[in-house]
Amino acid sequence: MEESNSIKLIRKSPWLFHFNSGGCNGCDIEVVAALTPKYDVERLGAVLTASPKHADILIITGPVTRQTAGSLKMIYEQMADPKIAIAIGTCACSGGVFRGGYNVLGGAEKVIKNVICIPGCPPNPRQIFAALKKLYENKLEEEKNDGGSKLTKE
Amino acid sequence: MGAVSLPKSDGTTVKLVPSESIVDAVKEIATTHPHLVGITAVHADSNIELLYSFDNFRGELRHLRVILPDKQPSIDSISGILLGAYIYEMEVRDMFGVNFNGHPLPNTRLLLPDSYPAGAPPPLLKTVTMDQLMKLLDSVQELQPPSPAIPITGSSRYSAESVVILPFGPYHPALKEPEHFALALEGEKIVEARPRIGYVHRGIEKLAENRTFLQALFLVERVCGICSFHHSWTYTLAAEKLLGITPGARAEYLRTLVAELERIHSHSLWIGLLGYWAGFDSMFMWLWSARERIMKLLEMIAGNRVNKSYITIGGVRADVSDEKLKIVQREIEEFKKEFKKISEAVMSYEPLWERTKNIGSFTAELAISAGAVGPTLRGAGIPYDIRKIEPYGAYPDLSFEVITEKGGDVLSISTVRVKETFESIRIIEQIVEKIPSGNPVPQTFFMGTSKEGEAFARTEPPRGELYYYLRGKVGSRNPYRVKIRTPTLPNLVLAAEALKGYTLADVPLILTMIDPCFSCEDRAIVYVKGMEPLMVKLPRSVPANLSLGCPI
Repeated sequence: MEESNSIKLIRKSPWLFHFNSGGCNGCDIEVVAALTPKYDVERLGAVLTASPKHADILIITGPVTRQTAGSLKMIYEQMADPKIAIAIGTCACSGGVFRGGYNVLGGAEKVIKNVICIPGCPPNPRQIFAALKKLYENKLEEEKNDGGSKLTKE
Repeated sequence: MGAVSLPKSDGTTVKLVPSESIVDAVKEIATTHPHLVGITAVHADSNIELLYSFDNFRGELRHLRVILPDKQPSIDSISGILLGAYIYEMEVRDMFGVNFNGHPLPNTRLLLPDSYPAGAPPPLLKTVTMDQLMKLLDSVQELQPPSPAIPITGSSRYSAESVVILPFGPYHPALKEPEHFALALEGEKIVEARPRIGYVHRGIEKLAENRTFLQALFLVERVCGICSFHHSWTYTLAAEKLLGITPGARAEYLRTLVAELERIHSHSLWIGLLGYWAGFDSMFMWLWSARERIMKLLEMIAGNRVNKSYITIGGVRADVSDEKLKIVQREIEEFKKEFKKISEAVMSYEPLWERTKNIGSFTAELAISAGAVGPTLRGAGIPYDIRKIEPYGAYPDLSFEVITEKGGDVLSISTVRVKETFESIRIIEQIVEKIPSGNPVPQTFFMGTSKEGEAFARTEPPRGELYYYLRGKVGSRNPYRVKIRTPTLPNLVLAAEALKGYTLADVPLILTMIDPCFSCEDRAIVYVKGMEPLMVKLPRSVPANLSLGCPI
C-alpha cells in the first residue's frame, strides 16, 4: 500500500473510531466530552462508529501496550483509504509518563505511520474540537517530525 | 526475617502465619472479618512476603503475614473460602511467580501480555531490572493481534451443540475500554463468563519503584483518569504515614473538596453512560452537559479537568481564594437544581426502571464473598464506606449519610449513585462554609529520603474502596514497593458471576453496573492461552462455615 503524506479529508462528515490502546481513561472521557452538548463535534458531522470499516479517522488514546499493539495495527489496516490517525494525549503521542515501562511500546507511531499528535494530559475537549475543525476545513499544515505529524498554526 | 510490623497507630494487628496453615487461619479470620481487602506481596531479603488484609466492615483491619522463599514459592489457595481471592492470587502469581495450590484457574494469566515468555522471571521481583525485562520482551514482541482467549471450549461440561462460546471484546462497541470476556451461551442465555484483562497493563507498580516519592505521585495519578485525584490522595496518605508528615487543616478541606467534585463528575458520567447502554441517549446527553459545570470548577481550582495534579505530599499545590470558593458555592447550587431535574425525570421514567430492575441481580452474600466494594456493595444493602468507618481528610468534621439500597441489581446501584451525588453536594456546601484559614501549600515539595517501614492507606473513590500499600527502605529516595488494589478488581469478580443467567443483550448493562475501570485494574497482568484447564468451577456462594457475624 502506498503511504500518503498529505492529510486531507475527502468527506465533509468525518466518522470516528475510538481505540484505547492502554490509556488511563482520561483522554477517553475527554473525547466523549467533545462529542456531548457543550463542545459537540457532531456539528462537524463527526459521529462515533462501532466499526473501523466505516471510519475515516482513527482516534488513539493511551500508550501502546504490548497486548494492544497487534490489535491497533489490525484495526488501522481494516480502515478504508484515505484514512487519518489522530493520537490524543501525550501517552498516545510518545508513551508519556509510562514510557520505559516493560509493557509499554511507546506512542502510536511505533505501530502506524503518519499520526497527527494532540499532546496534553489529557488535551482539553476544546483542543480536540479545534483539531477536528482544522481537519474539516482542510487547514491542517503538516510538519514532518520523526514519522509523526504535528499540528501547526496557520 | 525482613518483615516489619505495621505501625501500631493504625490500630491494626499483623499475625505471622506459617505457610502451611494459611487456609485454617483464613477460615478462622473470615468468620469475623469476611471482607478481603487485598493480598499484598513484597520481594525482600530473598523472601516473598504475602500480606492478607481483612476488614469486618467496621474498619477494624486484621492482617496475616506469610513469608515464602523466593525460589519456587508455593502456598495453598484461599479462593475456596473467599471467592474474590482468586483474582488477587492470579495477580500475585503473575507479578511474583507464587504458585497457589488448588487455584481454580491454574496456568492462566490475568495481567501480563500474551507475548510474555512462559519461563521468564516475573516482573516485580527485585532481582529483575527494567532493562532485562525490556530486552526480554522486545525479543519476542511481534505485532500480532492476541488470539481471542477461548478458555471454555472443549469442556465436557457442555456439549458442542448446546453451547456457543462468544468472544466479547477486547474491542467491542459495548466496551469503552479494551477487555475480553469469553461468554458461554446457551441460546441467548449466558451460562459462564470468563474475564481476561491486562490490555491496558502499563506496569505502574514496577515503574513507581524506579521513581522518587514525588515523581511516583504523578505516575499513580495516571492509574485512572476518572478517579485520578483519589489515586494520588491515597498514595499521599500512605506516603505521609510512612514519612511522618502531617498536612494542615485547610489542605485537608481542599483535598476533600476536589475529591467530592470528582465523585460528582464520576457519578454523573456513569449515570449518563447507563442511559447510553440502555438506549436512552437523551439521558446521556443531559447528564454529560450538566457535568461540564463540575469540570469547569475542577479546571478553575486545579488548572486541569481530568488529571488534576493538585495534591502533593504535605498539602496541596495551590490555595483556592475566597472568590473562587464563592464561585464553587454558586455553581454547585446551579448544578444541584439541574441534577435534581434530570435525575427526577430519568429515574421516574418507567422504561428505564423496567430495563434495569432485576438485571444483574446478586445477593449480599455473593457480593461479600467476591469482595465487592463501593456503590456495588452498598446497592446490596451493606453500608461499607471508608469515609465513614476510617475517616480521612476533612470527613470527620462533615456530616453525610452512607447511602444503601436493597436489591442488588442495576437499578439499586443506580439509585445509590444518584443519592450519593446529592450527599456529595451537601458535603461541598459544608466545606465552603467551614473551611479553616491557613496555608495549605507546603514550604518545599518533598525531595527527601524514606524511613524504614511500611504503611497503607484506604480511601473511598467513586467506584469503592481503594487500597495502597507502601514500603520504604531507609535512605532511599524511591519507594521500595507500591501496591495498588483498585475497586474494579473485586467488583469484576462479582460482575462475572452476576452475568450468569442473563441474556447477551444485558451484558453492557451488567458490566456497566460496577462502573468498571479497566485502566485501574490493569496496572498489574492475566492471560488464558489456548485450551488450557477448562471450565474450572469457582465457588459460587459463600461457604456454609462463613458466618456473617457483623451487623450488616
